Amino acid sequence: MIREMRRIQIIGPKGQLDECIKTLHATSVVHIEAARPDAWTDAGADVFLKRLPIEKDKLIEKESLERAKERLRNLIFLLNAPEHWKAERVTAAELRGRIDALASVEERVKEARASMEGLLEELSAINKYEKLILGFAPVVSTLGGLKNFEIAGLTIERQRAGVLELLASEINKITEGGFELRTVDIDEAAIGVVIAYPKRFDAKIRCLLSGKSINEIRLPDAYAELTLLNALKLMRVRKAELPGLIDGCETALEAASNEGYGVIKGALAAIDDAIDEIGALDYAGQTRFTFVIEGWAPATDIAVLKDGFRRTFGGTVLVRDISIGKADFNRVPVCIDNPGYIRPFEVFLGALPPPKYGSVDPTPYVALFFPIFFGIMVGDAGYGAVILLIGLYLRRRFAHKEKPRAIASVLAISSVSAAFFGVLFGEFFGDLGMRLGVMRPILIHRAEALKTMMAITLGIGAGHVMLGVIIGAANHFRHHKIAHACAKLSYLSAIVSFLTVVCGIMKVLPRGTIAPGAAAFVVSMIALTALEGALGPIEMVKAVGNILSYVRIMAVGTASVVMANVANKIGGLSDSIIIGIIVAGAIHALNIILSMVSPVIQSMRLQYVEFFSKFFEAGGVKYEPFKKR
Amino acid sequence: MEKAIIALAAAIAIAIPAIATAWAQSKIGSAGAGALAEKPELSGTVIILVAIPETIVLLGLVVAYLIIS
Repeated sequence: MIREMRRIQIIGPKGQLDECIKTLHATSVVHIEAARPDAWTDAGADVFLKRLPIEKDKLIEKESLERAKERLRNLIFLLNAPEHWKAERVTAAELRGRIDALASVEERVKEARASMEGLLEELSAINKYEKLILGFAPVVSTLGGLKNFEIAGLTIERQRAGVLELLASEINKITEGGFELRTVDIDEAAIGVVIAYPKRFDAKIRCLLSGKSINEIRLPDAYAELTLLNALKLMRVRKAELPGLIDGCETALEAASNEGYGVIKGALAAIDDAIDEIGALDYAGQTRFTFVIEGWAPATDIAVLKDGFRRTFGGTVLVRDISIGKADFNRVPVCIDNPGYIRPFEVFLGALPPPKYGSVDPTPYVALFFPIFFGIMVGDAGYGAVILLIGLYLRRRFAHKEKPRAIASVLAISSVSAAFFGVLFGEFFGDLGMRLGVMRPILIHRAEALKTMMAITLGIGAGHVMLGVIIGAANHFRHHKIAHACAKLSYLSAIVSFLTVVCGIMKVLPRGTIAPGAAAFVVSMIALTALEGALGPIEMVKAVGNILSYVRIMAVGTASVVMANVANKIGGLSDSIIIGIIVAGAIHALNIILSMVSPVIQSMRLQYVEFFSKFFEAGGVKYEPFKKR
Repeated sequence: MEKAIIALAAAIAIAIPAIATAWAQSKIGSAGAGALAEKPELSGTVIILVAIPETIVLLGLVVAYLIIS
């Protein structure tokens, strides 16, 4: 349900503005709105309420807080989140001290990260070059005695091996035949090439190699001055040492994370709170001696708010409670608050803009119909039990994540409905319950009575759509929009009379109902056209499409039960009981996963498109109270 | 022969709307994927939009059923 809201004004001496903001923040019920000087005129003369400029020292403080926030966010990015952590409570007074105390953690973390990155880079380089050096070693050793010769190592892709001949020809030209070129297999993709040539041609050769886009091997700096053999020996030693050193860095990082993670999270929340408090100043207005803050609060919280201000300021700051006029309805923030069972279904409103203040919150209706539609579509006691277990597990797994927890709760609640309808349809993992003789259809045999199921779902659709129209009409009456309400009633009458005629033709109702039904339909359509214009008849066509759309409940449900029966049939074909159970179990598992997706989407769609379109008025402002993080 | 023609008519009644639904969903799905890349918070809306054309095939199903019965 949408809670009743009240407009509030908080007026006090300018000197108490900061304290007032802190008290507002602590009470956590006021949705602050920017002061509107244009709405405050002195008997049509000059505007006496002005926007309150934020003082320079506050802006400096805000910048400083934003810098601290950036620093802490960078620091937390370097940490590993501990398995169990809790944000420490950091008050505004403690904030500076706690941030300063984090300097030693920051230093250790940066040092450990830098060391670890260096070590990992070295390990990666060793792994890369070790193989190359091992490949080159025999070739270089045969050239080792050639003093005054320069040696260059290259890798060439195996598929480009043809370039070697060209390269040899070019080097031959430069060195006038005074060079040695050897190749060696490095791996499946690359060939290693070692070229020895007189030192005086070094510049020209390097120029040639760089111009040919050939990968020349360059050892890391630490090994550049060593001979290949010594470089290889050092690499082997370092390769043995590095994992231990990297583990040491990890341990240091973990210790710093355990020490600082909760504090940093707490400090970040405190910084956000402090920035919010400075930002809230921008919403305030001022007269010569007083400040004014305007906002909205739920009517039931006004007493708590007034009491909090009276205790803190002893009457020097006034909290005015102003009733809301119809002209304000578009500005009033919408606070949706439902009982525990219904609350998880609020998650479905997340895909839509909030409803307008004064309109209808559809959550209670969704909480009633969503599980029913889901239950009829899944309609299996065994599947319901499995989905209930999955829902409860996910609810526990995402205990601290609001949206996934709400979805898991919806799944768990809907699974009970699925199990209930499963009992009515006599289904337990498809027809397994019936095969074992423990279940029988109480209401209907879903897989066989398609026509009956179609009629039931169309009946549900007609009822659901008409309920939407009735809710819309009632809401218009509540707001004294008589013309709109009458249009809704004409719409309802048109739907009822149309269905009467159809049922009469199909002999569901007596033949005698056709003529009065048709007359009522014509009158309703005339009234609807008069009240809504050309859109009226179009709405009527849409309503018929909406009702037919509920056949999806039957279609998805039939697909589900047929697949479950197929699983049992295929499982039963196997000679081995174990293989049969495994095969049938795998198909049932797939069907359960599909049952958790398709019925949810289809049921959601029926709510959003078919039901909400009859009464839901989007375009409200979401209630966002000024509260601590 | 008559039964075969009835069955064929029912098959056509469901097959053509099914193709139409698939075509519409492919268009909405690709546009939705593009929208989600820009605004992940639209996921709920996109799921609903993708499910909307399914009404076409459901109407086909109803017509096919009426033909058979």
